Amino acid sequence: MKAELTVKDPKPVKKRYVWKNTAQVNGLLFAMPAILGFLIFVFGPMIASLIYSLTDYSVFSDNTSFVGLNNYINMFSGEDPFFYKSISVTFYYVFLSVPLGIIFAFLLAILLNTDIKGKAIFRTIFYLPSIVPVVASAMIWLWLFNPDLGLINNMLTSVGLPTSLWLFSEGTVIPSIVIMGLWGVGGNMIIFLAGLNGIPDHYYEAIEVDGGNTLHKFWHITIPMMTPTIFFTTVMGFISGFQVFTEAYILTGGGPNNSSLFYVFYIWREAFSNSNMGYASALAWVLFIIIMFFTAFIFKSSKWVYYEGGKQ
Amino acid sequence: MKLKVLTSIVAVVFLLAACNSNTSGDTDDSGAVRISATAWGDPKQQKVFEKSIEKFNKDRKGEINVDLQVIPADYDTKLTTMVAGNETPDVAQMESATLAYPLAEEGKFLDLNTFLEKDPELSIDDLAPQFGYYSDDGELIGVCPERETFMLFYNEDMFEEAGAELPPVNAADAWDWNEFVEVAKKLTIDQNGNNALSPNFNPKNIKQFGIDFGKWWGNWGNFIYSNGGDFISDDGEKFGLTEPKAVEALQKLADLINVHHVAPSPIQSKSLPGGATSLQTKKVAMMIDGQWLNYNLGNSGVKYNVGVLPKMDKPVTMVVCGMFSIFSNTDHPEESWDTLKALINPESAFDMINEGLWLPTLKDWYTDPDIVSRWTNNKFHPSGFSGAIDAILNYSVPSPTGYVRNFNKILEFVDPALDQVWLGEKTAEDALKEIEKDVEKVLEGRRDIK
Repeated sequence: MKAELTVKDPKPVKKRYVWKNTAQVNGLLFAMPAILGFLIFVFGPMIASLIYSLTDYSVFSDNTSFVGLNNYINMFSGEDPFFYKSISVTFYYVFLSVPLGIIFAFLLAILLNTDIKGKAIFRTIFYLPSIVPVVASAMIWLWLFNPDLGLINNMLTSVGLPTSLWLFSEGTVIPSIVIMGLWGVGGNMIIFLAGLNGIPDHYYEAIEVDGGNTLHKFWHITIPMMTPTIFFTTVMGFISGFQVFTEAYILTGGGPNNSSLFYVFYIWREAFSNSNMGYASALAWVLFIIIMFFTAFIFKSSKWVYYEGGKQ
Repeated sequence: MKLKVLTSIVAVVFLLAACNSNTSGDTDDSGAVRISATAWGDPKQQKVFEKSIEKFNKDRKGEINVDLQVIPADYDTKLTTMVAGNETPDVAQMESATLAYPLAEEGKFLDLNTFLEKDPELSIDDLAPQFGYYSDDGELIGVCPERETFMLFYNEDMFEEAGAELPPVNAADAWDWNEFVEVAKKLTIDQNGNNALSPNFNPKNIKQFGIDFGKWWGNWGNFIYSNGGDFISDDGEKFGLTEPKAVEALQKLADLINVHHVAPSPIQSKSLPGGATSLQTKKVAMMIDGQWLNYNLGNSGVKYNVGVLPKMDKPVTMVVCGMFSIFSNTDHPEESWDTLKALINPESAFDMINEGLWLPTLKDWYTDPDIVSRWTNNKFHPSGFSGAIDAILNYSVPSPTGYVRNFNKILEFVDPALDQVWLGEKTAEDALKEIEKDVEKVLEGRRDIK
């Protein structure tokens, strides 16, 4: 006879929820501010925005009428001359800045993980730009990028290289803004440093024993072990990259000729300069879907991430 | 147990603080009516407004108490949020190009005509030209506390050094365009000392420019009108900037940059520090800008003067202003009107007028010689300024924001197109014709057609 380890059902009790103990109550109460904050200030407005996106709400007008999917149709049908331009500009920026940013941060982290003198000082120096407010750094870069008097062009001419119009030419404005952003990779660099320090030394020793060189170490140990960190920074990079705003607001105003008309800047313009709140809400939701799609895509395709803990 | 008590006390305190909303009652303790007002401005303008309001509050103590909020940045965003949250001020400064007309079209403003007609102290005839903005139905939706107009600023020393003829003061003597370009060429000098008239002139290595002008519609708008063009056709049906006269005006301006090389390109402009400094550092000899530049130039100690703008066909000066309006949901229209009057009173804004930042709103401040000398006899109003007064009284045209519907949206297409024109990448005709279709879609006609 098999030993059965079943627990007989206790006497059926009336379905009544009982507070197990005060710890549970307290826990819920302590979490309430965060929960309420989310519901009131994030979730509620999101629902409101979704509803507004189905109307022609313009704040000023007393009559707001339900227009169904008109806003969305206008967006995609080409009625709105700026929509597709804005999307392409933002995509260009994201697909240029996110990979470059991660690669730079990663290489910096590797460099600053070696045993060099003044390692801490260098790490501080590289990290500082990422905490400078974007507005302040934008002003500095405006001067640096100046085609006639700026430091960058001056340095290029002094070594005989051709200069560029940087922020003032359609073709080079996005790369210029990307370069500006690269100055602030310190934040990601710190994250990568943390990740690098989490790699156990014995893996490297094992490769040395097997006769591997630095390149083998890098390719077979460092990178695979860093994939969770790379995964994290990629997802975060995409999410924040799509929401780029300040550079357009401060530096370019969307120009020249709409070549830096970032999506969030466009939303802001529609909402507050043109008072098209309903349409702006619709734009915002489209952005939300786009970011959600990319995040889901990266998650789905994350087979390449190696978790030492074993779970995927 | 103690922790629980403490936590509950803290929670209650926070709750009370949050509940204590700031919705001020309409009357404060002394029984005075509370009026809320908003205005935009940098710290200097803020001081002027606050001074006017302080004096007003003192004069009308017990009757009216004005709560003024000066918003230094993102005024439109802030006001939109206030309207959305049903917290509109009683009196608000409004920008004609963006929010004023959408709000007016919803009937959100009081018609100030009714106040002007009844008011014993102030009537329409007292106001200098271009004093406010009208809605489609002829309602006066806002009155301006100031005027702003455009003129030619120049560095007298640079003219002397180049031996160039000084710009004329009065509109009747205004330079025509060719004369203007000639003078600008004389004042544009490359690093080797050759001016733009010389065959050895090197446009790639310019040390000083003859002329500079900001690229916003305030500056080039003057020349559209001067050449006989307009932003929109007379019947309001067609886009005006693709018409030959307007195209010619814009092309002539762009040619200053790319053909004659007497003006810096937008790229070079960005590197020149603000208008006043470029005159001061002798990077630019002449500057087209608004009269507020007098303030910086007057303070800089540069030997400067002003002249009338060159004409293309006729001499014309655009006059723009930022109006104050009264929201129609105010509970106290009479007190709001009194507040508005205080804000537009030149006596309370005297510092701003005296120091060149504003032009007064009352007519006799331009026509009565005693009053005129009160505010123009200082370093902020050089000898050529009398021409500006003459221009405002006799040669002024209103800002297009008043009568072109949907002006803001149209500019969204025009500005990027003009970017390419200033950079020399396209001719004005091509660039504007390209956007014509898009503009026609957002054209909504004119307000001043009866």
